[in-house]
Amino acid sequence: MSARLDELRRAQPKSRFMRASLWALAALTAYAWLSGTVEVGELFTERRLTNLRRFLTVDVVPQPARDGVWVWSDIFAWVRDVLDARGWAATLATLSISVVAIVLAGAMSWLLAPLAASNLATRRPFDADPGQERATWRALRFVVRGVMIVSRAVPEYVVAFLLLAVLGPDNAWPAILALAIHNGGILGRLGAETIENLEPGPLRSLSAIGAPRRAILATGVFPLALGRYLLFFFYRFETCVREATVLGMLGVVSLGYWIQDARAKQYYDEMLLFVALGALIVLVADLVSALARRHVRGAS
Amino acid sequence: MAREAAARMRVPSRLGRRGWLLAFVLFAAALAWLQLGLSVRDAVPGDSGRGVLSLFVGGAFAPALTYESDVPEGTAPLLVKVALAVVRTVVFAAAGMSLSLVVGLLLGFLGATSWWADDGECTCNAWWRKVRCYAMPAIYGGVRVVIALMRSVHELLWAVLFLAAFGLNSFSAVVAIAIPYGGTLAKVFSEMLDECPRDSARSLRAIGADSVQVFAWGLLPRAMPDMSAYAFYRFECAIRSSAVLGFFGYPTIGYYLKLSAENLHYREVWTYLYALCALVLLFELWSSQLRRRIVIR
Repeated sequence: MSARLDELRRAQPKSRFMRASLWALAALTAYAWLSGTVEVGELFTERRLTNLRRFLTVDVVPQPARDGVWVWSDIFAWVRDVLDARGWAATLATLSISVVAIVLAGAMSWLLAPLAASNLATRRPFDADPGQERATWRALRFVVRGVMIVSRAVPEYVVAFLLLAVLGPDNAWPAILALAIHNGGILGRLGAETIENLEPGPLRSLSAIGAPRRAILATGVFPLALGRYLLFFFYRFETCVREATVLGMLGVVSLGYWIQDARAKQYYDEMLLFVALGALIVLVADLVSALARRHVRGAS
Repeated sequence: MAREAAARMRVPSRLGRRGWLLAFVLFAAALAWLQLGLSVRDAVPGDSGRGVLSLFVGGAFAPALTYESDVPEGTAPLLVKVALAVVRTVVFAAAGMSLSLVVGLLLGFLGATSWWADDGECTCNAWWRKVRCYAMPAIYGGVRVVIALMRSVHELLWAVLFLAAFGLNSFSAVVAIAIPYGGTLAKVFSEMLDECPRDSARSLRAIGADSVQVFAWGLLPRAMPDMSAYAFYRFECAIRSSAVLGFFGYPTIGYYLKLSAENLHYREVWTYLYALCALVLLFELWSSQLRRRIVIR
C-alpha cells in the first residue's frame, strides 16, 4: 500500500519553476520579517503603549462623554450633528464619485476589450479559414494590452495624487478619473478574457452567413459576454466605493476628506465615526453588488 | 398545436433583466453627475494646471537618474534610494501578505460550511451531532461577521487608525495591510472551499473520515490550486497597497514619490513611477506564469 503511495507521489508532475517560486516566496517572507525593516518589538515599547492607552481611553471617546459620564442622548445628538454637518453629504459624494467612475471605467473597457481579444481583433474573426495573421493586428492587440496593463499597474491613490496637481481640488474629477483609469484597465482585461472564452459556435455561424465584424460584435459578442462582464462590473463597483472613500484623504470632498481633516485636528472621536461610516457604505455597496450579481445570474 | 405552443412562449420584453440593470446603472450615474455638479469643462486643466501637466509629461520621457536639485554631501545616489524604496515596498507587502495568509486560512476554514454541514446522514455520536447543529453554525455566523468587518475598512484607514493609536511604527503598517487582506482571503477561500467539487469529500465521509480529515484530504487539495492563484494575485495588490502606504510616512515608494512631487521634481516622480510599474509588472508576470501551471481546468 505504502509502496503504491510512494509510487504515486513520485509520479506527481513537478515543475522546477514552481519549486523555485515556492523557495523564492519563502525566502522573501523570511527576509521581510528578519531584515529589521518591520519592527515588531518596537510596537510594544512603553511609549507606544502609553499612546495606545490614551487613544483608547481619551481620544476616541465621543466628545460629550469625555468627562466620564455617558449620557446616551447627548452622544446621539453629537453623532447627529456631525453627520448632518458633514457625514451625509460626504457619504453621498463618495457614492456618486464611485458610480460615475465605474460607468466611465465600463465605457473605457468596452472600447478596449474588443481590441485586445485575440479571437476578435484579427483579420477574419471567427472565420472557418482565419488566413495568415497580419502583424498590424498583433501590434494593435499588443499596444491595447500594454495600455491596460500600465493603467492598472499604478494605484488609484497615486494617479489621483498626480491628477490633483493638474486639475486642482475644486471638483471631484481627480478622484473620478483615477478610479476610472485604474478600473478601466482591470475591466478591459477581464472583458477581453471573457470575449476570448466565449463559445465560438454562434459567432462562427454569424461569420459564416457573412456578418461583418461590427455586426458580430453587436449581435453576437456583446450579448453573449454581457452576463459575465456585468458580474465583473459590479465586483469592481464594490472596490470603487472602498477606494473613493480613501481618495478623499488627498483633498477631494468624500468621506476621506473629513477623516483626514479630523486627523489633522486630532478629533479622533470624529475620525472614528467617519471611518465607521465608510465601513457602513462599503457593506451597503457589497450588498448592492451581491444583489445585482444575483440578478444577472438569474437572467443568464 | 404548434401555434398554441408558440403563443405560450414568453415574449421577452424589449429590455430584459440585464437591460433594466444597465438602464438603472446609467440613471444612477446621471443622478451622481448632477449631485457632484460635474461639467466636462472642469476635467480640462486650467492655466496653472497646464504648466504642471507639461512638466509632468516632459518628465515621462526623461526620468531622473540623479537628483534634480542639490543634495547634502553624503546622500546616497538617487538610484540607490529608488532601489531601497522598491525593496522596502516588497518587504512590507510580503510581511503583510504572510500574516494575512495565516489569518485568511484560519478564518476561511472556520467560515466554510462544506466540511461540517455536508448533506447525508451523520454516522457519528450524539455529542458531535449537537456541535454540528448548534455550535458550528454559531461559529460560522460569527466568523462571517468578523470577515465582513475586517474587509469593510480600507487598509489605508486601518493604517491611519494605527497611526493615531501608536504613532509611526512599521509593524502596524504590516498589520494594517494584513487585516483587510486577511478578511478578503478568508472570504474568497471559504467560497472556494464550499464551491469545489464534493465527490472526494463524500467518498471520504462514506468510509468514515471525520470532518477535519474530510477537510484536509477531500476539500483542501481540490481547492488548493484556485486558492494559491488567488493568494498570488492578492500579493500583487499588496505591493500596490504597500507603495501607497508611503503617503502616510512609511518608507516605501509612495513616500519618496510624494516628496519629489511636492518639490515639483517630476522627472524624479517618473523614476519612482517606472520603478513601481516595473515591480508590479514583474509580479504580474510571475503570478501569471504560476497560475498557468497550477490552475488545472
